[in-house]
Amino acid sequence: MSEKIINSIIRSRKDLIYDLPANHVFNTEAEGGCGVTGFACSIPVRGKHIFEPSKQMHNRGNGRGGGIAAMGFDHRMLGVSPEILKESYILQIAVLEDDVIRELENNFIKPFFNVDFAEKIPRIDDYRDVPGLLVKPPDVWRFFIRVKPAILKEFKEKNRFDAMTERQAEDEFVYQNSTKINSKYYDATGLQRAFVLSHGRNFFILKVVGYAEEVVRYYQLDDFKANIWIAHQRYPTRGKVWHPAGAHPFIGMNEALVHNGDFANYHSVSEYLKQRNIYPRFLTDTEVSAQLFDLYSRTYGYPLEYVIEALAPTMERDFDKLPVEKQKIYRAIQAAHIHGSPDGPWFFIIAKNDTENKRLQLIGITDTGMLRPQVFALHEGQVQVGLICSEQQAIDATLKSLSDEDPRIGTVADIYWNARGGSHTDGGSFIFNLDEIRPGAIERKLTCVDKFGHEIRAEQEKVPYLPGRVYYSMEEDNREKFNVSRFFDLQQPDLLFEYIKEGILKWDYADLMDCFKEIKKWSRKNDAHLGVAINAITRLIDMRYPTGDKKRRSLLQMMNHTLENIFRSLPNLENRSRKSSYRLIDWESRPFFRGPDYDEKVLVIDAELFPPEGDERDSRLLTEAYFRGWRRFIVFGLKGQRFHGCGLGPESGGVRIDIYGNSGDYLASGIDGLTICVHGNSQDQVGQIMKSGKLIVYGHTGQTFMYGAKGGEVYIMGNAAGRPLINAVGRPRVVINGTCLDYLAESFMAGDPHNGGGFVVLNGVGFDEDGRVVPLDAPYPGSNLFSLASGGAIYVRDPNRTIDKEQLNGGEIYDLDEKDWELILPFLKENERLFGISIENDLLKVNGQKKGPLEVYCKVVPMKSGEMEEDGLEEWGV
Amino acid sequence: MSDNRKFHLPEVVRTPSRFRNAIGKYRLNRTDACTSCGKCVEICPYGVHVMKRGRVYVKNHYLCIGKECPNPCTLGCPENALSFRRNPTFDTMGDYRWTPDLLASTWYMSEFGDVPKAGLNYRTGDSGGGFDKLRIKLRKEEESLDLTDEDIDLSVELNRREDNAHRVKIEVPFYGGGMSYGSVSVTTILSRMKAAKLLGTLCCTGEGGYPDELKPYDDNVITQVATGLFGVREETIQRVRMVEFKYAQGAKPGLGGHLLADKVTPGVARMREAVAGFPLFSPFPFHSVYSVEDHKKHVDWIKAINPKAVVSVKVSTPTDVDMVAVGSYYAGAHVIHLDGSYGGTGAAPEIAKKNISMPIEYAIPKVHQFLIDEGVRDKVTVIASGGIRTPHDLVKIIALGADAVCTGTSDMVALECIRCHKCESGRGCARGIATTDTELVQLMNNDWGTQRIVNMFLAWRKEIIRILKRLGMKSIKELVGRKDVLAHLDYINK
Repeated sequence: MSEKIINSIIRSRKDLIYDLPANHVFNTEAEGGCGVTGFACSIPVRGKHIFEPSKQMHNRGNGRGGGIAAMGFDHRMLGVSPEILKESYILQIAVLEDDVIRELENNFIKPFFNVDFAEKIPRIDDYRDVPGLLVKPPDVWRFFIRVKPAILKEFKEKNRFDAMTERQAEDEFVYQNSTKINSKYYDATGLQRAFVLSHGRNFFILKVVGYAEEVVRYYQLDDFKANIWIAHQRYPTRGKVWHPAGAHPFIGMNEALVHNGDFANYHSVSEYLKQRNIYPRFLTDTEVSAQLFDLYSRTYGYPLEYVIEALAPTMERDFDKLPVEKQKIYRAIQAAHIHGSPDGPWFFIIAKNDTENKRLQLIGITDTGMLRPQVFALHEGQVQVGLICSEQQAIDATLKSLSDEDPRIGTVADIYWNARGGSHTDGGSFIFNLDEIRPGAIERKLTCVDKFGHEIRAEQEKVPYLPGRVYYSMEEDNREKFNVSRFFDLQQPDLLFEYIKEGILKWDYADLMDCFKEIKKWSRKNDAHLGVAINAITRLIDMRYPTGDKKRRSLLQMMNHTLENIFRSLPNLENRSRKSSYRLIDWESRPFFRGPDYDEKVLVIDAELFPPEGDERDSRLLTEAYFRGWRRFIVFGLKGQRFHGCGLGPESGGVRIDIYGNSGDYLASGIDGLTICVHGNSQDQVGQIMKSGKLIVYGHTGQTFMYGAKGGEVYIMGNAAGRPLINAVGRPRVVINGTCLDYLAESFMAGDPHNGGGFVVLNGVGFDEDGRVVPLDAPYPGSNLFSLASGGAIYVRDPNRTIDKEQLNGGEIYDLDEKDWELILPFLKENERLFGISIENDLLKVNGQKKGPLEVYCKVVPMKSGEMEEDGLEEWGV
Repeated sequence: MSDNRKFHLPEVVRTPSRFRNAIGKYRLNRTDACTSCGKCVEICPYGVHVMKRGRVYVKNHYLCIGKECPNPCTLGCPENALSFRRNPTFDTMGDYRWTPDLLASTWYMSEFGDVPKAGLNYRTGDSGGGFDKLRIKLRKEEESLDLTDEDIDLSVELNRREDNAHRVKIEVPFYGGGMSYGSVSVTTILSRMKAAKLLGTLCCTGEGGYPDELKPYDDNVITQVATGLFGVREETIQRVRMVEFKYAQGAKPGLGGHLLADKVTPGVARMREAVAGFPLFSPFPFHSVYSVEDHKKHVDWIKAINPKAVVSVKVSTPTDVDMVAVGSYYAGAHVIHLDGSYGGTGAAPEIAKKNISMPIEYAIPKVHQFLIDEGVRDKVTVIASGGIRTPHDLVKIIALGADAVCTGTSDMVALECIRCHKCESGRGCARGIATTDTELVQLMNNDWGTQRIVNMFLAWRKEIIRILKRLGMKSIKELVGRKDVLAHLDYINK
């Protein structure tokens, strides 16, 4: 945009804020974090699929504000022609006072717009039929409108918008008109009669005082189809019923924004916007965020990358790592807009209709400090899905819900990842683009890029499994394929694992299904066989190996399904007649909860229907069971339930818990002695204040992993997210095979590793599609490594010596010595045993060359303390 | 406490200073003209003079109340051998908030278990604001309630939610605030704990762990989960009836904690499982809590570890403290603990103290009113702390809307802290209170410390009861939120 246009736009908005008192204080509603979720699908899908993930995040909201946005419609669903859907603005007005709509129409719609179609959108007759809704949601009017040509011409002339395109001017007109509607009919602290929900093209927003899924129910969107859905659960701290307009999503022009977090500089951002004649009316920082986004993208005309940079500036070392050209531009952006940059914890999910490029977008942006939880996922196949959520279980719940309707969608995504906020690597933001394959087609093509436009691809060549499809076996295939009996007779789960692993390369999905069926049959024969089956399938889920032409996500789906089947057929606690050392307990059979009988060893908990928290949750049952004498646990069917392993108290050695499914936050926090194996990814706050025991995660782990830990032996197969091992003391010994986002082991105080203290081994490796171990670009791309640490050490596999002083703050880099290698070798051996990451062939090989450990690893230790402290120590005779 | 057995208060046992010369306001001078006639010993109401083996001398300078004395020895001496003057040392102590008078009167209370009879202003300090500008509008002495002390109820229920957490009741409207092992000595901690047990109240461990010496007092311990998570283990959380989250300290909000290297002795390092001789940082936020739903999760976690724990949330007083309080309540907290800006030992940076958050006497009424408007005031206990020095401060803050208070510095003063503000430095405290140095710790013994604190709080208790009677109230609960019993000196004539 030229400076002239920018100035004329800003000037034209002057009279929108005429009612603003000169020394206006921007008030805000205190609002904590919230639950946000969004997904983009290559075909339009029903609104009911936003239902499950929204429910998953109840504990992130308090039912006092929920909203959804839907984008990308089939014109038939709305009863308009494709042209109208494409060209007209969908103005949605929420009416809080019944008779206001006529007046509003006469004053703000009819004089300026040609209305192509208008309707009051359908809803349930009585809001009380939707349990949970305490207040009647507003009636919503929907208008398909275009600005009358004469009005537009006058508007352009009056504001000297001659350099703008017709469409840009029309957008601005619609925007200003909505602002006027809001200022006339909505006063957040006073009279509330009506407000504009949304006014962009090909999308709309609905909000209620309640939970987000109640929006779907009340406005009967279960079967309404759209390409992109986003939802938000609000958690306002004030307890009373709040005005519905305060719920997310908020609008710019053609975008809907939901926000999780709470930024500290609301006042200064508001002031910044006020200087540009924009003024928030709904008392939340989310509205301000949407206004910022619109300001940058439409008024200043920045491309998306620069918009993101203006919101989440690239800082410190990451800035230095950028190419010089980019640094110049970014510096200019930062200099101009730093006052508008939201400061504090925030995470945005934005649905944007990029009308110019005929592209729908789902965007996730994290703040520079990565203070809010965020997970991205990509599902490839005949139907492509891109997902962004606060927690992984919400992603999996969405996929499960989609998969139930359309079997082309699997229950597991191809890849899951976190963004590194304000970084030079991914920019802390990912964008799912939905492009038209051909004009007017319903199906779109989904691509995923990061802030810099680098494409994120999941493997695309391999074939997914489609349930229900008939797989024909070849004529000559009359050989006996699944001779699994010998593994059971010999009690050799390892061989069974190898056998299936090989089989995956040769067989097709039907064979594999049959094989799993066979295993299932064998598993029912006796406990020993059951053990073999569980063991082998668990290993298949845990390990990485070549999968031939098959998609790993499909295999995982099958294996999880098989395993759950096996577990669900176990005898429950009521049934004492059937002999088995395994006992199943689920939500229905929990009244029969009791201590173990003489030969009952393993309590298998089906967590599916248990609530995620509160006294009724499954992890509480597990703790109770421990006190009643159970020592061995399997928990499966998890959907983000929290606190597993918490509350068992000290000296819980000998206890083992296996976790399948989507484990929740605070797993293993505080454990003292027991062993927990997580077969899959773990979430945030894992192993907080852990004292001793063993934790194995066959996947990634989330934020603030092992914060304040005192000890324990921990193996992570993948990455840890931000701020792992902060303030850890004592003797934690941790192997992380992947990398960490930032702030690894800040204020680490774990003594002398050679003398009983703690350490972290960071291997910086990942797996490729065929399960081979491959080194990451850098073992640790962030900064603030080992900041202010006073004890312990970090051993980094860094053959190219990429770690530099800039990344440290109070630490020093040294070469490894023999003693260090002796110290970490046993842990790497255990790591090899658990994850199959070989010391000889993977860790000590660099570009195919075998190297010595001292060449491959280096260590980061605390800087020697100053003289003063040593004097002090002498006095005590230490 | 929670059981129904009748609670018995401990006895006052006179516990004089542990140093040879206690510091007093006046010094007496005896000239050679003294004939040891014994007249002064006879007339002094306070036992300042003693006669021993036919010789008279001044034993207790610090008990002399100077010119306010009804029967002064200086006039009564037949030989005119006695004179007094102000003790110059006295005036060098303390500061405007903790005036020398307040220090000396707290010492007096700790020795005798009652307020000083005369000569010392034990009600207010000299800060020119805050509590020192507030006055309690008492009825006349003769209009006070004619009840025995036992009839006045000072107990406070801490858990007002109808959930299955412990019912914790404190017998007096105060409990001990968090002071960590590391910042103060184990003797100090133990003295406070024992006193808390005797008085039927609680005391918080602070962030430095839970020394095993405290095991016998588990029922009276509040264990703190603070941002550094030092010494926090499942075991420590399960041992206690009440857990306190420390989000911030009023004296230094947004600054976290910092134990300087010199104070990290091998013992402290062992307790916190850190490295001796290195400074210890508590980060300013909980790294796992950046919003109210994180906070809820955090509270749930503690309840997962100890389902019966009463949860207190300690926060400082930012401008939106009312929102914070309500948010904490909805997240499941039983107690909201607001820590105002007047408190803090010498370890809190001077620039932070008094300069960052809202004074407690502004924050409490704000929160009190907001909770009433929300309709949840009776479901949550509000604790005030940060500069509660005297029973009068306590009455004032309760009248402004708190349910009870937390004390910290006054406990230290009972142990003969002189407010020299050197708590953080070197080996710590010259008086062996806020230190972990093995030699300095020897300066104090446990029984002495316990009795001093017990005496002080018994004096507080007596004074609170006296005030309540003169306000015509039978219970401390009646006082909550009664702003009308207070007057502010600046507005008294307007």
